Amino acid sequence: MTAYILRRLLLIVPMLFGASLVIFLMLRLGPSDPALDYLRLSKVPPTPQALEEARRFLGLDLPLSTQYLNWIGRALAGDFGTSYALQRPVLPDILHFLPATLALAGTALAFTMIISVPLGIWAARYRDRWPDHAVRLIAFLGVSMPNFWLGFLLVMVFSVHLGWLPPMGRDGPPSLVMPVIAVAFMSLAINARLLRASMLEVAGQRHVRYARLRGLSDRVVERRHILRNAWLPIITAMGMHVGELLGGTLVIETIFGWPGVGRYAVSAILNRDYPVIQCFTLLMVVIFVLCNLLVDIVYALADPRIRRSTGDTA
Amino acid sequence: MFSRRSFLSLPVLGAVISSPLGSLAAGRSAAGRLRFAWPLNVGPLNPHLYSPNQMFAQNMVYEPLVRYREDGQVVPWLAASWSISEDGRTYTFELREGVMFSNGEPFDAAAAKANIDAVLANRERHAWLELANQIVGAEVVAPMTLKLSLKDPYYPALQELALPRPFRFIAPSQFVHGGTKDGIVAPVGTGPWMLTESSLGERDLFSRNDRYWGDAPAYAEVEVQVIPDPNTRAIALRTGQIDMVYGVEGPLSPDSYAEFAALGDFTTGLSAPMETSDLALNTARGATRDLSVRRAINHAVDKGAMIALILHGTERRADTLFAPNVPYADIGLEPYAHNPEQARKILEEDGWTVTGEGQPRTKDGAPLILDLCFVGTDAVAKAKAEILQADLASVGIGINLIGEEESSIYARQRDGRFHLIFNRTWGAPYDPHAFLSSMRVPSHADYQAQLGLADKAEIDRKIGEVLISTDETQRADLYRDLLTRFHEEAVYLPLTYATAMAVARPEVGRLVFGAMSSEIPFEKLTPDT
Repeated sequence: MTAYILRRLLLIVPMLFGASLVIFLMLRLGPSDPALDYLRLSKVPPTPQALEEARRFLGLDLPLSTQYLNWIGRALAGDFGTSYALQRPVLPDILHFLPATLALAGTALAFTMIISVPLGIWAARYRDRWPDHAVRLIAFLGVSMPNFWLGFLLVMVFSVHLGWLPPMGRDGPPSLVMPVIAVAFMSLAINARLLRASMLEVAGQRHVRYARLRGLSDRVVERRHILRNAWLPIITAMGMHVGELLGGTLVIETIFGWPGVGRYAVSAILNRDYPVIQCFTLLMVVIFVLCNLLVDIVYALADPRIRRSTGDTA
Repeated sequence: MFSRRSFLSLPVLGAVISSPLGSLAAGRSAAGRLRFAWPLNVGPLNPHLYSPNQMFAQNMVYEPLVRYREDGQVVPWLAASWSISEDGRTYTFELREGVMFSNGEPFDAAAAKANIDAVLANRERHAWLELANQIVGAEVVAPMTLKLSLKDPYYPALQELALPRPFRFIAPSQFVHGGTKDGIVAPVGTGPWMLTESSLGERDLFSRNDRYWGDAPAYAEVEVQVIPDPNTRAIALRTGQIDMVYGVEGPLSPDSYAEFAALGDFTTGLSAPMETSDLALNTARGATRDLSVRRAINHAVDKGAMIALILHGTERRADTLFAPNVPYADIGLEPYAHNPEQARKILEEDGWTVTGEGQPRTKDGAPLILDLCFVGTDAVAKAKAEILQADLASVGIGINLIGEEESSIYARQRDGRFHLIFNRTWGAPYDPHAFLSSMRVPSHADYQAQLGLADKAEIDRKIGEVLISTDETQRADLYRDLLTRFHEEAVYLPLTYATAMAVARPEVGRLVFGAMSSEIPFEKLTPDT
C-alpha cells in the first residue's frame, strides 16, 4: 500500500510537466493578446507603439519556447511569475487567497455530507413515500438550478427581504452561510440520490435478506449491513464533489464578494492574465490528483477486496 | 475607447433591487466614512505607472500642475500661474506657495523637476502620450519656478499635464533607485487623501490629508471595497454595505441603474457627455465607399430606441463625433435626422434598388450587404449591433454581424477589414486633439475608415497643423474644417455619448461629477446630515 501511494505521488511530477505544457500552449493558441488587455486595464489607447512596449514589458515579445522555458525554469524554483494585471508575484497572492477558498469549499463539503447522508437514508428508508418524493424534488432542483441563480435568490430572501445575512464579504460565520448553500446544493442533491440508490441496491442483496432472516432489527440491518456496503459509491462521489465545489467557488466567490482564489482566477481569465491562469490551473491539477489519490486510499481502507488487489499490484 | 465587461447579468437582480429592505447589522457607514466599491484594489499607487494603479485613486493622492475643468478650460492647480514663450516651446510655471506633501516635505520646483525627470527616465512606457515625447527637459529656474522645454509648439501640453498620470507628483523621498520606474516606497502626494490601509482582495482605506493646501474634504475617510461584479455592487448598495457606486465603464448595469432611479430611495445622476460611442464607416471598402450608403445609414438608425431599450437612458443621443461640450466641437453641425424614408430615397436615387421583400438592395448586380464588427464578449455592443441590423434591414441594407475576440477586432481595425466597426473617442482631456492625432496612424479604425476620402492626405496634414498651431483662431478654424468634413462625408455614425453614472444613498448628499472619466471627486462630496 505504501509503495502504491509513493508511486502515485511520484507520477504527479511528469503529470505536472505535461499539464504545464498543455496549459501554456492552449492559452497561446487562440487569437487573444494579453497586451491589449493590459492596455485596456491601464486605460492607454492601443497604439502600435504602446502595444509593442506592453508586449516587451510583459515578456510576450520573446519566442514561445523561450517564454515556456523561462516560466517553467522559474516555477521549479517556486516563482510562478508576475501577474500582468496586478504586477504582483502570482504564488504569494494565490497562497493569500487560498485559505478563504479552502474555508468555503471545506465547509461546503462538510455541509454536503451532513445534509446529504441523512436525506439519502431517509429517502431509501421510505422508498416511494413522501420523504422519498421530497428528496427527489430537492435533487431535481439541485441539479437543475445554476449555483449563481440560487445565490441571487438567497440574497434576495435572506439579505434584502429578511435582512438576516450579509449579502457579501467575509466577515465571520454569517457571511459563510449563503455561499456555502449556493455552492454545495448541487453536490448535496447528487449525493442524496446516489446514497438512496446505493442503499436500495444493497438492500436487495442476499446478505441483507439473511440478516433479516436472522431476526436483526431494521435499524441494525440498515446500519451494519446496508449502509456500510452502500458507502463505497459515496466515497468516489466525494472525490468528484471536491472538484465541483472548487469549480463552483469560481462563480460564487464573484457573486458574494468572497476574497478567495476563485474570484482571483475569474478576474485573471477575463483579463487574460496568463501567469495567474497557469499557476491556478496547475494548483487545481495538484488538488484534483491528490483528492483522487485520497479517495483511492480511503476506498482501499473501506473495502478489503480493493486493499488486497492494491496490495497485489504493489 | 475601452470595452465593457459584465461577468453576470441576471433578470433576478431587478427583483433584488426593487424588493423591500430588511435591517442588516452591517448596514450603515461609520460617521465620516464614505463606503465605495471598485472592481479591484487600487494598487501600490505609483503616480508614474499604469495598471494595477487605479487612476481614480492616483487622482485622490496626487495632483497636477494644472487641472482640466468641465468646460474644457485648463486652470491653475499646483502651478499658480504659467506663461508660454512666443514660439510655444517653453512653459514656465510659478508653483503654488505653501503646498506640502502629506509627510511634511515641501512641494517646490526641485521636487517637481525630480518627478518630471522620473517620468522621462521611463519615457518608452509613456510614448503613447505625445507630451512625453515632446518634453525635452525640466529646469529649476527659482525655488518655486519650473521651466519645461518642448521640441515643438505642442498646444495640448497643458491638457496632457492635467491627466491623472504620469505627470503628477510624489515626494522625492519615496523614490526607489532615484526614480519611480522600479517602484515607490509609499504613496505620498500633495492631494486631499492619503492611502492608509490596504487589504488585498478586500478593501483600501483613504484618510483625509490634514496637510492639504486646499479645502479639506467633508468626509474623514473613503473606504474602497473590492467588488468585481456589477450585480453584487448593486446588491451591496441596496443592502447598505456601501454608500455609493460611480463610474463610466459599467459600474452598474444600465437596467440596475434604471431600477435604482425608479425606486426613489437613492440619489442617482448622470454626468455630462464624457466620450462618444460611434461606428466608423469604411470609405475605402465595398458599398460603404458610396457616400449615399453612408448617409443612408446615418438616417436609418433609431438611436432613441437603442438608448431606451438597451441603455435604459444611461447614455445620451449623439449626433456628432464629439459632444458640444468638447473644446472646438460646438460648431453647429446639422444632425442626420432619424428618417428611414429619407434613407430609402437616398439609396434609390443612387441606384441601389429593391429586389424583393426583405432582400438587400442591389446596384449593378452587387448586393448591399455590409460587415458590422464588434467584440463578441461585449454584451452591450452585441445588443446595439442587433438593433442596427434590424434598422438597416428596414431600408434594404443587409448586415453580417461579426462578433470576435478583441484582438481580432483590433486586427480588422489595423488592416481595414470592415464596413462598419464599433469605435469610441478617448474622452476628456484627449478629445479632440489626441483622438484626431490618432486618425493619422494606419493601425487605427479612423485612419482606415477615412482612407477612401479623396483628400485623406490633406486631412492628415491639417491634423498635424492643428496640433502645433499657436494661433487660437487658426486652430478653431482647422478643427471646424476637419469635423465638418467628417460629418458631411458621413465617415462616422455617432450613436451615444457615454456618461459617468452615480448612485448613492441619500445621506451622501448631492452628487458631483469629475471633468474626466477617470476622476471621482470624493473631496467635493458633503454628507447630508
